[in-house]
Amino acid sequence: MSARLEAENLYKVFGRKQDQAVERLRQGTDRKELHAGGTTAAVIDASFTVEPGEIFVVMGLSGSGKSTLLRMLNGLLEPTAGHVRFGGEDLTEISGRRLREVRSRKISMVFQHFALFPHRSVRDNAAYGLEVQGVPRAERERRADEALALCGLAGWEKSWPDELSGGMQQRVGLARALATDADLLLMDESFSALDPLIRRDMQDQLIELQKTLKKTIVFITHDLNEAMRLGDRIAVMRDGRIVQIGTAQDILIRPANEYVASFTQDVDRSRVLTAGAVMETELRGDEADCACETATPATPFTELCAISTRVPHPVAVLDGDGDLVGVVPSRRLIGFLGDERGEAGTCDSPRDKGGEKVMSRA
Amino acid sequence: MPRIPLGDWVNEAVDWLLDHVAWLFDFLKTVFTGTYDGINAVLQAPEPLLLVGIFAVIAFWLRGTLAGVLTFLGFAFIVSMELWENAMITLALVLVATIIALVVAVPVGIWAARSDRVSGIVRPVLDFMQTLPAMIYLIPAILFFGTGASAGIVATLIFALAPGVRMTELGIRQVDKELVEAAEAFGTSPRNTLLRVQLPLALPTVMAGVNQVIMLGLSMAAIAGMVGTGGLGGDVNEAIGQLNVGLGSESGVAIVILAIYLDRMTSALGTQVSPLGRRAAAKARSTGGLKIWSYRPRPQVAVIGVVILALVAGGMGMFGGSGDTESVADGKNVGQGKKITLGYVPWDEGVASTFLWKEILEQRGYEAEAKQFDAGPLYTSLAQGDIDVVTNSWLPTTHEQYWKKYGDRLDDLGSWYDETSLELTVPAYMKDVNTLADLKGKADLFNGRITGIESSAGEMALLKSKVMGAYGLQDEYKVVDSSTPAMLAELKRAMSKKEPIVVTLWSPHWAYNDYDLKKLKDPKGAWGEGDGVHLLSRKGFAADDPTAARWMKDFKLTEKQLTSLEAEINKSGKGKQQEAVRTWLKANPGVVDKLAPVEGGSGATPAEAKRPLDVAWFPWEEDVAVTYLWKNVLERRGYKLNLKQMDVGPVYTGLATGDLDLNFDAWLPHAQKNYWDKHKNNLTDLGTWYEPTSLEIAVPSYVKDVKSLADLKGKADLFDGKIIGIEPGTGQMQLVKNDVMPAYGLQDEYEVVDGSTPAMLAELKRALAKKEPIAVTLWSPHWAYSEYELTKLKDPKKSFGANNTIHTISSKAFPEQYPQLTEWIKNFRMSEDELGTLEAEIKDRGQGHEEEAVAAWLEEHPGMVGRMTPQ
Repeated sequence: MSARLEAENLYKVFGRKQDQAVERLRQGTDRKELHAGGTTAAVIDASFTVEPGEIFVVMGLSGSGKSTLLRMLNGLLEPTAGHVRFGGEDLTEISGRRLREVRSRKISMVFQHFALFPHRSVRDNAAYGLEVQGVPRAERERRADEALALCGLAGWEKSWPDELSGGMQQRVGLARALATDADLLLMDESFSALDPLIRRDMQDQLIELQKTLKKTIVFITHDLNEAMRLGDRIAVMRDGRIVQIGTAQDILIRPANEYVASFTQDVDRSRVLTAGAVMETELRGDEADCACETATPATPFTELCAISTRVPHPVAVLDGDGDLVGVVPSRRLIGFLGDERGEAGTCDSPRDKGGEKVMSRA
Repeated sequence: MPRIPLGDWVNEAVDWLLDHVAWLFDFLKTVFTGTYDGINAVLQAPEPLLLVGIFAVIAFWLRGTLAGVLTFLGFAFIVSMELWENAMITLALVLVATIIALVVAVPVGIWAARSDRVSGIVRPVLDFMQTLPAMIYLIPAILFFGTGASAGIVATLIFALAPGVRMTELGIRQVDKELVEAAEAFGTSPRNTLLRVQLPLALPTVMAGVNQVIMLGLSMAAIAGMVGTGGLGGDVNEAIGQLNVGLGSESGVAIVILAIYLDRMTSALGTQVSPLGRRAAAKARSTGGLKIWSYRPRPQVAVIGVVILALVAGGMGMFGGSGDTESVADGKNVGQGKKITLGYVPWDEGVASTFLWKEILEQRGYEAEAKQFDAGPLYTSLAQGDIDVVTNSWLPTTHEQYWKKYGDRLDDLGSWYDETSLELTVPAYMKDVNTLADLKGKADLFNGRITGIESSAGEMALLKSKVMGAYGLQDEYKVVDSSTPAMLAELKRAMSKKEPIVVTLWSPHWAYNDYDLKKLKDPKGAWGEGDGVHLLSRKGFAADDPTAARWMKDFKLTEKQLTSLEAEINKSGKGKQQEAVRTWLKANPGVVDKLAPVEGGSGATPAEAKRPLDVAWFPWEEDVAVTYLWKNVLERRGYKLNLKQMDVGPVYTGLATGDLDLNFDAWLPHAQKNYWDKHKNNLTDLGTWYEPTSLEIAVPSYVKDVKSLADLKGKADLFDGKIIGIEPGTGQMQLVKNDVMPAYGLQDEYEVVDGSTPAMLAELKRALAKKEPIAVTLWSPHWAYSEYELTKLKDPKKSFGANNTIHTISSKAFPEQYPQLTEWIKNFRMSEDELGTLEAEIKDRGQGHEEEAVAAWLEEHPGMVGRMTPQ
């Protein structure tokens, strides 16, 4: 039931002579050059598609234009050039009134600093979107309470925002976004302002909810770990441009450039990688012909390590039909952890001769 | 550098506005005065203490018990200072200005918050409005809106608008951007974003702005008083003009009390109306626990309290109005069944005069009712309008305290019997004590005591403050405060033992019939004139029933008439007073027609008197005197005068626009030359009424060797090189700087210091206190000459030029509107002695008693009324 979101060649320029600036950007003028002229290009030529039910994460450092990009998706900012299409409508073409209608019914948003209305109770905050839609009081309170319950806030309906902890406040923000039953959920660094532990909780809860709700979600973050945990696909932004779009493993294993690669250095690879990503596919064919433990391509990296220690030879990876698709030698596991793909060197010390033998087999 | 004629442009712009958009100003004036009149009527209607109660309940509700109690005390204090009416005028003014300011400021503030361009334009305009000296826009305000409430409101508005706009803008801009974005992200329309998110969250700041608007409005009250707005500002101005620090501080304190109340109430209201404030308050309360001083009733309780008090207030106001019409058809049916209620204190002359009037009024077709009261309730009822007329008010002494309290809500229709006196009395057997002077040295005989009556009585005050001092008795005798019955009992006791005693007494009194007493003579006239028996009416009676009011104003009885009537009533006994009056009237034919003439011929009100006169006056001694003199005289002739106290500039402007009718204090051709030249095309000079004036430089008499202006030369060191001047730009100052100083070669030695009249007088007073040399610019007549010992410096070179004379000036149309009055005023003259005695009388009676002073003075100058308004 969710609809596909498409962004096509989006540009957002702040300052004077915006159309001219877009033209120059298209011709390859540098962003810094424009900036010297008093024009700031926040988003440059962003195109992507988000499939229904997908969590699409936009990742980038502050100032990379990710928040601007997000605000163009629901029309809070009008793109200088390009199109946003959602549910069969081009949001850049429709009237302001229609746009508000779309926002109130089809797109909702969760904010970094929660943006709860301090003069409304928790229930009234959650019901806000429905109130804007004009839903009668009894019904909107019922639906708001449901949304709150879904976010684990049953019993807090009559409290006030300032009585809640940060995590609970963001749950209210999430409940407010979910209460309208919008197809598209825009989340702007929604968990960044929370403590690390609470952030993990919220991430888990979002994943949990998504399993049943199947919303289309665009999630903004500057935290690659969070991006990789949540994102079905990730877009990495730098200086207003999208430099790479791909799955977490794509970005980790095949970074598009130095910048992305430097980004991925700090990532806890063991949480992201699976057997499918690390296995060698050059096969002899007999690697699985023993009774030893095997893995599947979806086996997480940490589990793969465990198997590898129990098995005396490289772990065989079998697909769903039991066919051999790859093998994972333990040296390769260590190499991925250290982000090192090179071959082992040699050592003069006789102490290490035995080891050389094992390695040569790999 | 070429001269940029900004001033000319402004003048042209003002003229253009007057010619082309007068309709707009008229419309605004209607709105302003309408709102003001409405609010003022509500605030003035109830008995002061009831309204104080209402205010206290509001404070109780908004802030708690302590605030309620303090409010009651503070406002009761204002009532006790007799400043309540003026305080309510000021309050009404401030409320109207605040309401209008908010109607303008909040939308402008919202607009400025949403658009940086609007904000950029509005900001300098606000700075301009807030810093431009008030007097500069007061004059155009009079041109556009006329004098009185609306000009005051405009001045207050201009000054107070800025914080309203600023705080609204700030409040809205302060609202967290993310919250506004959140509202938009959920599809809220801009209007709802404003109403549901921005305004509720900006409310505390906006209310702080409201608070500031009110505070600034109050601080403008004093300045607004200069344009005849009245209220506490008027009091402050008057006090400053007369260097009366006492009165000034009274009204100042009243303004402060009002300000603190409004400040606390608006900030509490701010908490109450904003959801965030309510939450914060609830939190604070829950931690504080229940305390009696911070206990606040629930809104319902407060509303019930206010409603009950308001109903009582309303109900008390209603009593006077319930009249039914029952016609007594007659050829001379003037009253048409109108009801007039007469109240009286059961003293002989009161009974007689009341029933005489009851009979006269009934013969003229009125329905008259006589009600007996004690003195206190009598005045209260009269002030509230429950009764219409009181015939036996002993003024100015005996009933002074009531007059003080209620005088502003009563009209004095004049004295009808003057043969009363106050005195000290001894038994007739005290052979060698015949005058007050004889008491001196005989303190032993009387045990050093003078047996007095109630300490609050006017007679006692007079005795202690004046009479004792006049005869040097204050060290020998002690005046014993007591009560009338106690004094009489003491007298009786002493008489029975033939002991010496001296008591305070008054005539007429039954004691003189019952005992053999001797009134002590008062050769020095220390007791002053005796009380007159006055006829008072409730405020507005003369307007409701001009005919009856005129009859009563002209009412006079001779001693013979009064005593014969009293005797007749005593003979008939209680309950048959009216029959006695009828019998008396039969014996004195023609009295009814004389007292209540119906022909409308002689003594009748001229047609022109129908339109009330707006007379502006300056708080200067001679103007107070002459203005109140004319008020008294003209009201006898049926005119109605509205007196407005104002500053010079506004008066000329007001007269020129026809907004004012008259001013009696134009110093021409020099002192007020500037104003006259500017407006003379739109003014009429009704001639001079006072000749002996002069402008001069004066020094204290103790500066021995300075007798003429020429003596000043070479003495700059002595005077610190300064001559203390008055307002720059006045004719006198121009004259001093341009003509007088060069004539005596003083311009290099002395600096003429610009200032103001009050500042000059204050400087003079200070120098006198220290016996320092000082030279000031002064003019005659001025009270400073009677108050201080000053030398007018001689002007042998006649550099001050010909002297001013005091003119009466009026609006252009005046001679056509008031031909009779114009004639009277043109022929009006006053001598130095007449003006001097009148000023002294007014100064003696003090602030607020000008009308009595004039009435008393007229008693001493019986020919004056006829001379001023010959018929």
